[in-house]
Amino acid sequence: MKKFLAVVKREYIQRVRTKFFVVATILGPVMMAAFTVVPALMFTIKAGGPTRLAIIDQTGKLYERVAKDLVSGKDRRGRSEAPEPQMQPPVGPDASKEQINQAGKMIKGSFVVEEARLDKRSLDEVKNDLEARIQSRNLDGYVLLPSDLLKNGQPEFRARNTADPFTRDTVESAISRAVRGQRLVDAGIKEEAVEKASQPVDLKTIEAGGKESKGEASFFFVFGLGLLIYMSVLLYGQLVLGAVIEEKETRIAEILFSSIRSFPLMMGKLVGVSLVALTQMGIWAAAFLIISAWVAGGSSITLPHIPPIVFVYFSLYFLMGYFIYSTVYAVVGSMVTTTQEGGQLAMPVVLMLIAGFFLSFNIIRSPNSSLAFWASMFPFFAPITMLVRIVTETPPLWQILLSLGIGAATIVGLVWVASRIYRVGMLMTGKKATIPEVWRWVRQA
Amino acid sequence: MDDSQPTLILDHVTKSFGEFTAVSDLSLQVRPGRVFGLIGPNGAGKTTTIRMIVNITVPDSGTIELFGQGMNTALQDRIGYLPEERGLYKRMKVGEQLRFFAELKDLRGAEANKRIDAWLEKLELSAWKEKRTKELSKGMQQKVQFITAVIHDPDLVILDEPFSGLDPVNVDLMKQTILEQRAAGKTIILSTHQMEIAEKLCDDVCMINKSRKVLDGKLREIRRSFSRNAVALQFEGGDGLLNDPALVANTRQNGEDIEALLVPGANPQTLLKRLVESGVDVSKFELVEPSLHDIFIEKVKETA
Repeated sequence: MKKFLAVVKREYIQRVRTKFFVVATILGPVMMAAFTVVPALMFTIKAGGPTRLAIIDQTGKLYERVAKDLVSGKDRRGRSEAPEPQMQPPVGPDASKEQINQAGKMIKGSFVVEEARLDKRSLDEVKNDLEARIQSRNLDGYVLLPSDLLKNGQPEFRARNTADPFTRDTVESAISRAVRGQRLVDAGIKEEAVEKASQPVDLKTIEAGGKESKGEASFFFVFGLGLLIYMSVLLYGQLVLGAVIEEKETRIAEILFSSIRSFPLMMGKLVGVSLVALTQMGIWAAAFLIISAWVAGGSSITLPHIPPIVFVYFSLYFLMGYFIYSTVYAVVGSMVTTTQEGGQLAMPVVLMLIAGFFLSFNIIRSPNSSLAFWASMFPFFAPITMLVRIVTETPPLWQILLSLGIGAATIVGLVWVASRIYRVGMLMTGKKATIPEVWRWVRQA
Repeated sequence: MDDSQPTLILDHVTKSFGEFTAVSDLSLQVRPGRVFGLIGPNGAGKTTTIRMIVNITVPDSGTIELFGQGMNTALQDRIGYLPEERGLYKRMKVGEQLRFFAELKDLRGAEANKRIDAWLEKLELSAWKEKRTKELSKGMQQKVQFITAVIHDPDLVILDEPFSGLDPVNVDLMKQTILEQRAAGKTIILSTHQMEIAEKLCDDVCMINKSRKVLDGKLREIRRSFSRNAVALQFEGGDGLLNDPALVANTRQNGEDIEALLVPGANPQTLLKRLVESGVDVSKFELVEPSLHDIFIEKVKETA
């Protein structure tokens, strides 16, 4: 036990003290910030101006409706935050005053709409006129609403950038709604009744227990855990791999094996490296909390409504998931001679985590099916699948404890296998093991 | 000495890896307080034998008994091992490195620090204690490695090729240290393919070749039994003095020396007397003990 602690201590201190660790710990949050802030910044740059549309209304009834719909941005409920990816020259020194005003407006609705009246001109003349304005970048596009539109006609949309699906969709549904509304009014239904009838509903989810639940939040919570395990395994699995291979490359293993049994040695390495990972993630989490508290300016962050016990399970299953997949890296590390080889070999197993994700889509619909039960007992899936069950329809405690038990046993078993392969493999100097060989080593060591 | 209990007994030990037999039916005894030489060419099975003694691998058949007990992990702390393939953590500081290996042998606390300082002092490495291991020269790393083998004051010290990569000054320092260990009552197993070194340091030897034992015993007795009644000579003038078939069987030039192999039963003194009487200037007259190298070659030829 004391020797085990000596290994843990060495692995931990040697890694935490490196420049690499310090740099990565500091750069981590900076990168995170960069990944969240920079895209947001880029969106605001793009949103230099709204999409400017002209509407030729030959029906004479629809312009008001379509324009109102587009300008209010009613359609984009749910994604109204995302500005239209319409390419616009950014607001620069040569931008006119008008454009700047428009840029200010677009924060609410990202369309500026004008009506193009025929006023005795022929349709083609108007079209040519609009076309010219599009060419001179005075306008982004125009919509032609033909006079038979209310019966079965087809509107036309001409734009500089027809490849932009968001604008197309928005325009299309605005026209659809306008046509539907106008048809109802034409059929003799009152305007207010039409408006009332088109109010969408907002589904309120209530758990069987009676309290209001945020089903979505729970799902994202589990999804977040899966992502966290995946990221940390990818980040630190290599570290475990390196720690196991280190002695092979430097031939220290021989002295180690003459002093300590291979199981505590391997376990010591795994725990030591994992403590490094947890230290780093802990620092990041603390930094994240402090920064977000500071950004929120004192107003408390609203966490999704999740009972505290779920956080306990979250931590337990995170540790289980992390350790199971790290141990896979340890097993692989004991078989190969270089980290590059190891990364490739470990990948298929890590993909099991993804399989767990896919299973959870099924489980979230029927959390008490037998598929859900077995998937949440299988240790490589359990960290995700069991947590899905816990947040949806909490299974009996014995099932949770059983899956945790199986997980722990799997970890110990894998470390045992890794230590045996390591011990024998070390003596077969410098060659990569084949699977039958590895199997023989496990039995004979 | 002979009746004291052996430190280590190998009894009909065999170890093979797949088709390849590394050690075959090897029996030997190592007695306490002596330097035991395990000698043989590269690939003879020395390292595999040692790995079994330090419990890294287990023999396929046969038994190993150490300090009167069957091999077990608790005994590992009483062994110090300098492997042939050296390995140190390159990025660790020398002091930390020694401390870690001491802890692996269950030595910790102030006692560990004290011994680390004493050993660094002794092997002239004190100035390097806070340096990273990779900054040290190969010879220095070798000495650090040696300290890891003896830091926990083991009763049995196993040194696999301890002199490779050392300069002459450090070879002497190492030899002296080994002899000090013996004087302190430690048992030392010295594995080497350099016969000249074994000759100078060992009390007992075991020669192995191609996985099998060739011969073993006390070095002095072995050499005596292989004595060939030969004389190494250097003298000026007096050609033809050695051409006496009744006395000299044959001669050969060996560097500066003339080596004369005498007829069995002939007395070397007779030859010396004849040389002096003939008035030649004798600058060297030495009875030649056979070298381990010669004995080894002879035995290998014999058994082949």
